[in-house]
Amino acid sequence: MMKTFKQLALASTMLAVAGTAAFAAEIKVGSVAGVTGPIAELVVPIVAGRQLAADQINAAGGLLNGDTLTMVLADSQCDPKAGVDAGTKVVNVEQVVAIVGASCSGATNGMVQSVTIPAGVVAISDSATAPSITDLDDNDLVFRVAASDAYQGSALAQLAWNNGYRTLAMTYANDDYNAGLAGVFEVSFKALGGTITANQMHEPNKASYRSELSTLSGNGAEGLAIFAYYGGSGIAIMRNSLEAGLFEKFLAADGMFDQSVIDQIGADVLRENIMITQAASDYDDPSYLAFANAFEATGHSPQAPYAAHGYDATFLIALAIEKAGSTDRAAISAALREVANPPGVVIRPGEWAKAKAALAAGQDVNYEGAVGQNDFDDNGDVTGLFSVNVVGTDGKWTGDLIR
Amino acid sequence: MDQLYGYFLYGLSLLTFGGIYAMLTLGLNIQLGFTGLFNAGIAGFFVVGAYVSAILSTAESERHLGGFDWPIPASLVAAMLVSAVIGWAVARISIRLRADYLAIATLGIAEILRLTFKNETDLTNGARGVSYIPKPYENMPEPWNQILMAAVVLAIVAVLYFLLERARKSPWGRVMSAIRENEGSARAAGKDVDRLRVQAFVVGAAMMGLGGGMMAHYLKFIDPNAADPTTATFLVFVMLIVGGSGNNKGAILGAILMWTIWSATEIFTSMLPGDLAIRSAYVRVFLIGLMLQIMLQKFPDGLLPEKRLQSSDSR
Repeated sequence: MMKTFKQLALASTMLAVAGTAAFAAEIKVGSVAGVTGPIAELVVPIVAGRQLAADQINAAGGLLNGDTLTMVLADSQCDPKAGVDAGTKVVNVEQVVAIVGASCSGATNGMVQSVTIPAGVVAISDSATAPSITDLDDNDLVFRVAASDAYQGSALAQLAWNNGYRTLAMTYANDDYNAGLAGVFEVSFKALGGTITANQMHEPNKASYRSELSTLSGNGAEGLAIFAYYGGSGIAIMRNSLEAGLFEKFLAADGMFDQSVIDQIGADVLRENIMITQAASDYDDPSYLAFANAFEATGHSPQAPYAAHGYDATFLIALAIEKAGSTDRAAISAALREVANPPGVVIRPGEWAKAKAALAAGQDVNYEGAVGQNDFDDNGDVTGLFSVNVVGTDGKWTGDLIR
Repeated sequence: MDQLYGYFLYGLSLLTFGGIYAMLTLGLNIQLGFTGLFNAGIAGFFVVGAYVSAILSTAESERHLGGFDWPIPASLVAAMLVSAVIGWAVARISIRLRADYLAIATLGIAEILRLTFKNETDLTNGARGVSYIPKPYENMPEPWNQILMAAVVLAIVAVLYFLLERARKSPWGRVMSAIRENEGSARAAGKDVDRLRVQAFVVGAAMMGLGGGMMAHYLKFIDPNAADPTTATFLVFVMLIVGGSGNNKGAILGAILMWTIWSATEIFTSMLPGDLAIRSAYVRVFLIGLMLQIMLQKFPDGLLPEKRLQSSDSR
């Protein structure tokens, strides 16, 4: 009898303890990403980047009154139908206070126009780069930490011009990302005084690009600008072009930034002959290093495309919630710009406790993220930083920030 | 309270998506269910309807042809007409092909249509898509905007259902099932089989165009990825087969049920921790295939099997 009583007492104490622990609420943020679909392999590190931010914040005191930040994953499949469906689910069923995502520009466009803008939920995209997102009529509810293609396209054009290229041929894979980037590059390069001898669109995943390349060659082009994903068509185009002796020098954007390009084409062939721009971070910057060290410990490469962007987008939302002091959707959207832009105490990745203390003391904060300043302009866009990457002596990409 | 209200809004979105898919399944039901035409090119008519309605109804834009700022109902009618005309042209070429060959031909044509819209950048803004498509009642306050959107979609589905039931019980509908069951004897009875098959194909294509148009208005944005064959052709097939090919009620039930399963399973898979949540996204795709297998093996007639007409049903 006594024994049962003791057990009962123990059980009720445990219940009481569990009760106080559960008192801290859960605050949900939507994590919308193209988990299945054409960019599936890029999404895994991006989602890991978002989760790392949430884990660090929860470990360092959590949001508001020790509340847990929970990321609710939803699949946007890179398809506007699925983007709208995913947005509806996280906004209505999960009652998220804000959203990170969606991945592809098309899915993001559908999700924000049909769901999140009418619902008044703020969305920060970490990888949608289409220029069309800049001028959405969005009541200041759509932000992104990934720079618009408008910036990278002109950065690459300037780079080509500075390196002595005057006439170029160009080809792009027909998807929203590469077509957008190629369009900006063409306009910018011509504006600098350069000549585009031929501009040929191509469909990805073909076995051979010899016919496209024969259209592109000739007319004295000094090199070929390729806008493609390395696995979809980029490597095949470079290989075909080298085999036939049509182009030896290449320019490319971040869809081509992968070690497999060097491994499959050969470091000796590419050294001196290729330049790739990439949405980058200042690799010497303490903000980047703080993120990179933590992210590497989770078993992912910190240079994985847009992983650092996913981290920054999540961290910014958490700061906005803390600044707003509530989970009210409108208050969060109003606070976002204040925590991202100067003035204020500089907060770097991982410095959640410092940020929480500063905000509690009524100070302004200014997040300087892993991908750069993250200062939003009037359209909710960031300028972004880019690096130029060449093949180093060790057969790996070596990057320098474009300043 | 907020949570209940959230479920209510999500329910409306399931009905809207399901209703739009019901337009596609009803269109396929005329072709496959009534007449036995194996049209594997649903995505093609879907993308035609979506882009026609999108381009006609948007305000003028320098990114794509037009827009022409038409009212939504007029754009939807135009979407149906253009889909019907393209359906007629396709049918004229390929309607005499036997079942699987017709499927191959229509599958190819659907890809041609999708890639045309993807590559004609001046016409459609290519892969970057069309934005700012107006949505019915979008300026009403929440939740009325979503209630009315769902109501419009369901009202259209109800009208289509009524018309199709009339058609099914009419002499025209009976000839269609005669053609499906035994083409030779229908021909021997003096029916112009090719002409009737073209009619069924065109009516079905027009309804798929309407579904595409409604989808564009609902999403407010359309790009070629929205006409991906997985979700714009094969999912529609699964919906009709699960619901009951040949039964209009089954077509509607299958669309709403399968969309609910497709969408709502994610609420549970996203609760899984970390990597598992990512992997389980693929399990959902697998589940749809498994469902089709089970239905085909165990219930080949679907949840609501076709009801054979009796002579007392005639009007």
